Amino acid sequence: MRKNRLAARTSCLSLILMSALCGLTACGSADDSTESKTGAAAFFDGRNIRWIIPYSPGGGYDEYGRLIAPFLEKYTGARVDIYNMPGAGGMRGANELFGSPKNGLTIGIINGSAMVTNELAGMRGADYKIAEFEFLGRVVADKRVLVVSTESGIGSFEEIWKSEDRVKIGATGLGGSTYVDAVIANEAFEMDVDIIHGFDSSSVVRQAMLRGNIVGTWGSWGSAADNVGAGRDIVVLQSGKERASDLADAPTVFEMGEKTADPERTMAILNAWESLHAVGRPMAVPPGTPPERVQFLRDALYKALHDPKLLATAEKSGRTIVYASGEEMQQIVSDATVLPDEIRQLFVRAIKGEL
Amino acid sequence: MGIIEGLTSGFLQAISLEVFPYLFVGAAFGLVIGVIPGLSGHFAMAMVIPFLYTMEPAAGIAFLLGAHSTVAQGGGLTAILFSTPGTGQNAATLLDGPPMRNMGLGGMAAGAALTACFLGATFGALVLALLLPVLQQVVLFFGPPEIFVLAFLALTFVAVLGKEDLTRSLIAALTGLLLAMIGLDNVTNQERFTFGLLELRDGLELVPVILGLFAVAEMFELWVKGGSLTGSQSSPMSARETQTQIFRGVVEAVKHWWLIMRCSTIGAAMGLIPGLGSAPAAFVAYGHAKQTSKSKETFGKGNIEGVIGSESANDAVEGGALASTIAFGVPGSSSMAILLGALFILGQETGPNMLTYHVDVVFIMIFTIIIGNFLGMLGGVFLVNPLTRATGLRGSLLVPVLIAIVFTGAFAVQRSWFDIGIALFFGVFGYWMKELGYSRAALLIGFVLGFAVEKNLYLAIQLSGPFFIFDPIPLTLAVITVVFLAYNIWGIIRDRRRNG
Repeated sequence: MRKNRLAARTSCLSLILMSALCGLTACGSADDSTESKTGAAAFFDGRNIRWIIPYSPGGGYDEYGRLIAPFLEKYTGARVDIYNMPGAGGMRGANELFGSPKNGLTIGIINGSAMVTNELAGMRGADYKIAEFEFLGRVVADKRVLVVSTESGIGSFEEIWKSEDRVKIGATGLGGSTYVDAVIANEAFEMDVDIIHGFDSSSVVRQAMLRGNIVGTWGSWGSAADNVGAGRDIVVLQSGKERASDLADAPTVFEMGEKTADPERTMAILNAWESLHAVGRPMAVPPGTPPERVQFLRDALYKALHDPKLLATAEKSGRTIVYASGEEMQQIVSDATVLPDEIRQLFVRAIKGEL
Repeated sequence: MGIIEGLTSGFLQAISLEVFPYLFVGAAFGLVIGVIPGLSGHFAMAMVIPFLYTMEPAAGIAFLLGAHSTVAQGGGLTAILFSTPGTGQNAATLLDGPPMRNMGLGGMAAGAALTACFLGATFGALVLALLLPVLQQVVLFFGPPEIFVLAFLALTFVAVLGKEDLTRSLIAALTGLLLAMIGLDNVTNQERFTFGLLELRDGLELVPVILGLFAVAEMFELWVKGGSLTGSQSSPMSARETQTQIFRGVVEAVKHWWLIMRCSTIGAAMGLIPGLGSAPAAFVAYGHAKQTSKSKETFGKGNIEGVIGSESANDAVEGGALASTIAFGVPGSSSMAILLGALFILGQETGPNMLTYHVDVVFIMIFTIIIGNFLGMLGGVFLVNPLTRATGLRGSLLVPVLIAIVFTGAFAVQRSWFDIGIALFFGVFGYWMKELGYSRAALLIGFVLGFAVEKNLYLAIQLSGPFFIFDPIPLTLAVITVVFLAYNIWGIIRDRRRNG
């Protein structure tokens, strides 16, 4: 009798726990709308969309996914399930998306710039064809910045450029974006910055900067902003042709590019670099998805990424949205994949770590 | 804001009606996640993130850290009762937890583990609080040269763990080091030991390897030998008996307060070092517990000190890991990276600003860890009884169910079918290691530390040249390592002479 009561009590406890958790997870579900739906809207209504995120829970891509998913649910009428598929530097998720059923029920966000360069370099495991994806739109294109620690005493890019000693810049793995940016900058500006690579993650690079082991690193403005705001780092160089509004003091690579010995070559490299950055983080569906469903998803993504509530939340979490439409993305990707031969070779060597 | 003021304000906020319910739900959620093999603290945190956007900072932090802090407790329970660790950090608990269960002392081990977790976490949190004034200096202490030597020092604990059979232990540890090398090398961009498999490019995932080595291997053994997990115990324990055991476990843990202090110190110190993680900390603490124990020979055969040592260290890690996150916004682990992102969402700035103006937020974290673990301990006690009953089931019923759960856990980490294969492979491997008397713990230590040793050696050489080892701090640490190793080898030789 006693045992039964105890068992009942424990199962009651677990029931309460379960219902509490269910209640929590239910918060994110979509609004119901009663109007009748036709075509693609009717197809997606009440269905489950699988959203592939090619990185682990908790990273930047995952954060964008979890931020946008509820709004996609709102505008598609479907349930959106986040599906983390980390591996092979984002290629595993891209491959999975490329080969998924072409019914519009599998969507994905990809690391656009890295997927383009990996394909260009013919990396093993790049089984997708980036230009064949049906793009739904771009969530963001990161502004890349070169930051140095305030402690280092360096105040401008020229000081690094013209330095007598080899300045040490940290990077993660060979072929990773922090590494490729540093190598390409070396090539474009014909400088000899010492790139210390092999750090586990960008946070370990940060630690080494704080310790004074290295001077600076390349990274996205989104993730560098925090430390810059706190006065620990300063931005000495930014990617792009125009200075960002919240980064008016740092020169762009194009401004600096005019001061090199061979501006023509520098500009060619910088243009290619820029077109790669522009690919950013796009969302896509597998090639061959029915056009009306692609269009429907494009519209839904447009509405989601322009929803004032989403924009407010994105700003709060420091994750900006730099939208480009699906049609624009097809153009951006083809620009990035068609590079002059010499420049293409340069990037391939940089990605493979041969520079 | 002064420290005392921050402390009071942090405590009052943590127990206020606006915050405490979230802490409670978070802690309950974490405990459930911990019980499920393969799901880790960082998974629990990532699940909580979407709810933070609309929450107040204090409530959000309590929710998030509450969920994170109890995961190790849930994982410890299943490690002891089903030989199935929830996550990597409970791997060391497998050495003495399951043997205690086989002796019919599962309830006691569980009680001790839950209490040790709580006390360890409290200790880690207090260390963090005490370090606050010098937090930044402490965090900057560890660079690649220091981490290399420390990881190497941790590696030498193999000598303690495998004292009984040093040759076999060394073979196992070196196998672990080799396994750590599988995958794409960050430094040279070369694939090593991948046999052309794309799935091996990122190296072996820790969780499937641990689940295979211990949980699956145990299932094989149970299947081959028959009977039930509780072994010789014919009938399952009554609820009353289990409760008595849990209480005895709690008392035992409190009695070993000095051991908990020492192991928690190890945990907190290793938590401070970015990139080492909590699995090695638990093993090193286990090694320390064995080294200093009066009854070394019963370690691995069901010594409660082994359970207490490793469980107290794996929760003390959190205090240390929080330090570098708070001091500079440099996360020491994947969980801390998520916490950092969450703090940003909640509008909190880390670094000097937080330490100067928002020290109450730091204290909310500290109290969340303490209170969360306390709730986890209470909740865990309720879970022990039903779980213990399941251990009495006969193998032919239990094995299929547990294998299904374990494979789901292995799959869940990366949603990879390949990882199920890894768990199966290491299941067979682990089974034979156990049968032939090779130490699985030594293999795991080699595996978890191999990466840190190699990577930091390369960075240290690049940053400071080949003679970095002669810099004052690395040199001191290296001397300690050599002395420690020499002492142990001498001990082994002495024992051999005595016996031979």
